Amino acid sequence: MSKIEDVKVLVETGKSKKVAAAVQEALDAGDKAQDILDAMIASMGVVGDKFSAGEIFVPEMLIAAKAMSKGVEVLKPVMAGDGSSSLGTCIMGTVAGDLHDIGKNLVVMMLESAGFDMVDLGVDVSADKFVDAVKENNNVVLVACSGLLTTTMPALKEAVQTIKAAYPGMKVIVGGAPVTQEYANEIGADGYAPDAGSSASKAKEIICA
Amino acid sequence: MLTIRENLLETMKGGNPDRFVKQYEFIDLIMEVPLGVEFNYGQTWKDHWGITWQWPEGQLGMFPVHHDGLAVIQDITEWKKTVTKPVIETSDEAWAPALAHANAVDRKEKFATVFYAPGIFEMTHHLMGMENALMALYEEPEAMQELIDYLTEYELEFAAVMVDKLHPEAILHHDDWGSQISSFVSPDMFEEFFLPAYKKIYKFYKDNGVELIIHHSDSYAANLVPYMIEAGIDIWQGVMNTNNIPELVEKYGEKITFMGGLHSGTVDYPSWEKDVVKKQVEETCKANGHKYFIPCQTSGLPIENFEGVIDYIDECIDEMSKELF
Repeated sequence: MSKIEDVKVLVETGKSKKVAAAVQEALDAGDKAQDILDAMIASMGVVGDKFSAGEIFVPEMLIAAKAMSKGVEVLKPVMAGDGSSSLGTCIMGTVAGDLHDIGKNLVVMMLESAGFDMVDLGVDVSADKFVDAVKENNNVVLVACSGLLTTTMPALKEAVQTIKAAYPGMKVIVGGAPVTQEYANEIGADGYAPDAGSSASKAKEIICA
Repeated sequence: MLTIRENLLETMKGGNPDRFVKQYEFIDLIMEVPLGVEFNYGQTWKDHWGITWQWPEGQLGMFPVHHDGLAVIQDITEWKKTVTKPVIETSDEAWAPALAHANAVDRKEKFATVFYAPGIFEMTHHLMGMENALMALYEEPEAMQELIDYLTEYELEFAAVMVDKLHPEAILHHDDWGSQISSFVSPDMFEEFFLPAYKKIYKFYKDNGVELIIHHSDSYAANLVPYMIEAGIDIWQGVMNTNNIPELVEKYGEKITFMGGLHSGTVDYPSWEKDVVKKQVEETCKANGHKYFIPCQTSGLPIENFEGVIDYIDECIDEMSKELF
């Protein structure tokens, strides 16, 4: 098995204590940093798909994301100044009036693993705060809004519409338990992901559209 | 006409109930139990385990806080340094309101029911945050097992006092085991870490006169139903439609009863509408039937967020009983 294949398996199985050494071995063997990163991103794609399919659960997804971050730490100095690996910045938060953060945190991890630079605004984020974050950060290509409560769905709508009014070309993705594709369409979001596992592929699809 | 209690038991054994069980009608819930659990709307506070809670104004519930170093457990391998079992109230004075309530229950009609929350799984993530708790099951399984054993020990100590003081006939026990679409942990992980704890806890209650174990988890948890049965759960309260309730009733009904089918978020909201509620009650009653199923809001307590919902759901269930019995 090649060194890169080792890294892929270690990420997919969440072996965070072994990934760093495996990434270093792959670099030492002459593998390009970008190729190693792409391999880890692909592994996280597999993890996301398995989560969406119900084959794995939140702990498995969490340890895989942690393993990937350990691998990225090794690659960072090697890739310093090379912006080509980033998909751009994504601003994420749970909308105003809603304090749920577990699903949002999972999505942050999955998008980060997919190659986005994440800015996590936390919970109870007002529509204006999303707009301010777009203004204050570089290369923002996506805003992700989460809402778990039926009662905060109007806040989701307000967030999407406020962001769109301030930045008409900005892509916005939404998600959360009560959200559906129909609701996402109705409020003018560019996309919807039903779970954290599928959020990364949907986010990439939206920014490429 | 069967009594409320008889009607429930007929429903649970797949016999001949003469109407749908109406939500929580069969329990008289003794909320005066001195659990130490506080519900402080609009406030931030520390509970008896040292967990920081926030219930901001305008929110429907409270949340444990783990950021800024507030989590009780910062390092799972060192949990013993920061986690201490709270003192359990044993004085007659502390239990007097609960005892008065227990003595006043009409036990011919209703089950004298005690309330317990949070359960073992929730305690693990209340103490250290969800992500840390879930990752620790993989990364530090021995420490997690020790913590779970310690939490179980506390629950059993509390249970011993509670059954001695109140002689309850039922318990409504909260522990959310999943999101709306999946269980938080795999069935294998549940079997390894949480099933043994619940087998001990629920066996203790059953051995001490508690006839009904009602476990609340408003989530998907269909993949955990075999373990619910093994743990001794009689009624899974909070079952959501994401579980395919008719299939569960068909497969497991003889061993466990399912209570839910009405998602609180879609019936109990600020401007709730009668047509919406009525339609959902009709759908759940017709889809799930009256054997091994109790139509109920998925909410874990017989309390409504917005006035009039519970009574109207009951009214709609009565109409369904007239139509379908």
